[in-house]
Amino acid sequence: MKHKTLTQSMAWLHTWSGLIFGWLLFAIFLTGTLAVFDKEIDGWMRPEIPATSLSQSAAAQQALGYLARQHPEAKTWNIGLPGERSDTLTVSAGEQRRGGGTALDPRTGEPLAVRETAGGGFFFRFHFTLNLPRDLGIWTVGLAAMAMLVALISGIVIHKKFFKDFFTFRPAKGQRSWLDAHNATAVLVLPFHLMITYTGLVIFYLIYMPAAVDALFDGDRDNLGRALRGAPAEQQVRGERPTRSEAAELTALEPLLAEAERAMGPVSSLSIHNPGRSNARIEARPVLGNRIELTKGQSMLFDGVSGEVLRQPAVSRPSLLTQKVMAGLHFAQFGGYSMRWLYFVCGLASCAMLATGVVLFTVKRRRRHDGEGAVGALLYHIAERLNVAVVAGLMVACVAFLWANRLLPVELAQRGGWEVRVFFLVWLLSLGHAIIRPWRSAWREQLGLAAALCISLPALSLLGESLGDYLYLELTSVALGLLLAWPCWKLYQAPKERAPRRVGKQPVAQVN
Amino acid sequence: MKSKSPAWPTLSRIVAALIGGYLFTYAFTAALARLLPMDKVDALVVASLPSFLIYTLAILWAFACRNAWRAWAGMALALPLAAIGFWPQWREVLG
Amino acid sequence: MALIVALLLACGGMLGLCLGLERHYKQLWHRLPSPMLRRGLRGMGWVLLAASFAVSVQVWGWAMGPVAWFGLISLAGLSVAFLLPYSAR
Repeated sequence: MKHKTLTQSMAWLHTWSGLIFGWLLFAIFLTGTLAVFDKEIDGWMRPEIPATSLSQSAAAQQALGYLARQHPEAKTWNIGLPGERSDTLTVSAGEQRRGGGTALDPRTGEPLAVRETAGGGFFFRFHFTLNLPRDLGIWTVGLAAMAMLVALISGIVIHKKFFKDFFTFRPAKGQRSWLDAHNATAVLVLPFHLMITYTGLVIFYLIYMPAAVDALFDGDRDNLGRALRGAPAEQQVRGERPTRSEAAELTALEPLLAEAERAMGPVSSLSIHNPGRSNARIEARPVLGNRIELTKGQSMLFDGVSGEVLRQPAVSRPSLLTQKVMAGLHFAQFGGYSMRWLYFVCGLASCAMLATGVVLFTVKRRRRHDGEGAVGALLYHIAERLNVAVVAGLMVACVAFLWANRLLPVELAQRGGWEVRVFFLVWLLSLGHAIIRPWRSAWREQLGLAAALCISLPALSLLGESLGDYLYLELTSVALGLLLAWPCWKLYQAPKERAPRRVGKQPVAQVN
Repeated sequence: MKSKSPAWPTLSRIVAALIGGYLFTYAFTAALARLLPMDKVDALVVASLPSFLIYTLAILWAFACRNAWRAWAGMALALPLAAIGFWPQWREVLG
Repeated sequence: MALIVALLLACGGMLGLCLGLERHYKQLWHRLPSPMLRRGLRGMGWVLLAASFAVSVQVWGWAMGPVAWFGLISLAGLSVAFLLPYSAR
């Protein structure tokens, strides 16, 4: 390869890493953005659960009553409490399993018949596994994240007029406008892009880069786990042998919840070990959110009879705290709803950056792809179609997934699996549609469909019972639909006749 | 992108960047973890967190440097770094 | 709400920085700004951004405040960049 300048080599790297991984990255960023509101989407997908304004202790009392009736002999009771983001009250007995349990109506304490659904958690899981088997998915997403970092840094290197062009956006100028939009969404939101990508990698840092584990711990994960968990005093007090315990009443929950909330922030769930015995223990877990540090797995232990605090939540050492803060910055569970909305809109900006990038690739080559040789022309045609399928098609698939939740019969076995199948089927159909239709029609038909499905989403609540409070979610859906309707409408307008492009020498340096 | 130039140097750089770059980062992280004057858990975390930045820079360097040979030369630094990172294990193996 | 105030200050700040650039001032008012006016606009822009930072820290604290601030100024900047060509017509 003849010697290139730094700008030329970085431009090449930016274009190809951006294009090859751009489609994957768009899927990761779109589902990640939706996952910001995973609990809210989950609530919408379980419309049998009523909106509640009961306090946590009142809800917990109902749960206790149910558990005492149904599982009086169980060693452990688990209660998932309703909170700011979710109205769901769940109970289970025995070892706590993720996502298991019976949903109760907090008003009556009776079980609710809730439809089985893949829930908002589907977007969350798709975001970091692409629905592949867990390890393969995590590695693929990790590779895409590295490509994103490479594209971001190389993009900074080649963007010559970084500050001069900071606010530059010239609409209705064809390729120029697409480049402007790509630059604007990239540069103005750059802190977010860099932060979210790097922190995403940090979450699974020991999976991606086990070098230090191999060097310092000989790759022994168990040893490492013990070292991470720290001194024995911090360890869980679980599975205690019941030594001569008598029957004893459980302590009042209201002051206990208040104390837990004071120490850790809002409480998400309780586990009660040996309920009704004198050696009862109550473990309270926090809703992630009153600090940036990701406090998953943390808990506070109380004596079940006296309510006294037995173990405060663990305090992280500075190095681990740093990692958990970085992970927390990615998970965005802190700062309340306003912070959540900020992340959501920034996430949409990231999606816009990726979309304008891949579209720019095809816009540049629409008129001159024939001059690129057979491989170049083929690549252009593939890119043109994949763009529609990945950008517009994925959006259709996401909203179709929500539609499936309300339209599929409630009694259908393995409903959750069927909802996911609808998602992939719609996505596949959008690829087929993109292949057969000319590019302009493909874009406007798919964007139009996505817009229509988003705008009419609230109408689904008219079918069957819809007891929750979904105003914000439905308003957002309508707003996003209108946002998608705008480019759709523009595509229906006749393209402006432009003067034939001056085919002259273009400086190779510009990623133009 | 006109590809009039041969593909081998580009392919070579890609392999140097992706695989060579990862090996370089792996060795660098191990060496850093062993050299940091902190307890094992702290050293592990402090060495591992910047690894993605190192990998990114290695990839960029593989494409920015003058030719594909230089890219591989850079990645070859992984060997002395690995020696620093893993010398107790190597000492044990070598007896 | 303090959040709205922080957002508006961020918008004002980004607008100041934007119009402090020759090409955008010209885009909006069709004449060239004097160097002093440009410096004034940019200075005002930075002051408003700092005020936005202060309000963010007040709302969210010293840890989350800066995180929120970066998000606010990014979105403010995007709004300014995308609305400017349409308001210049």
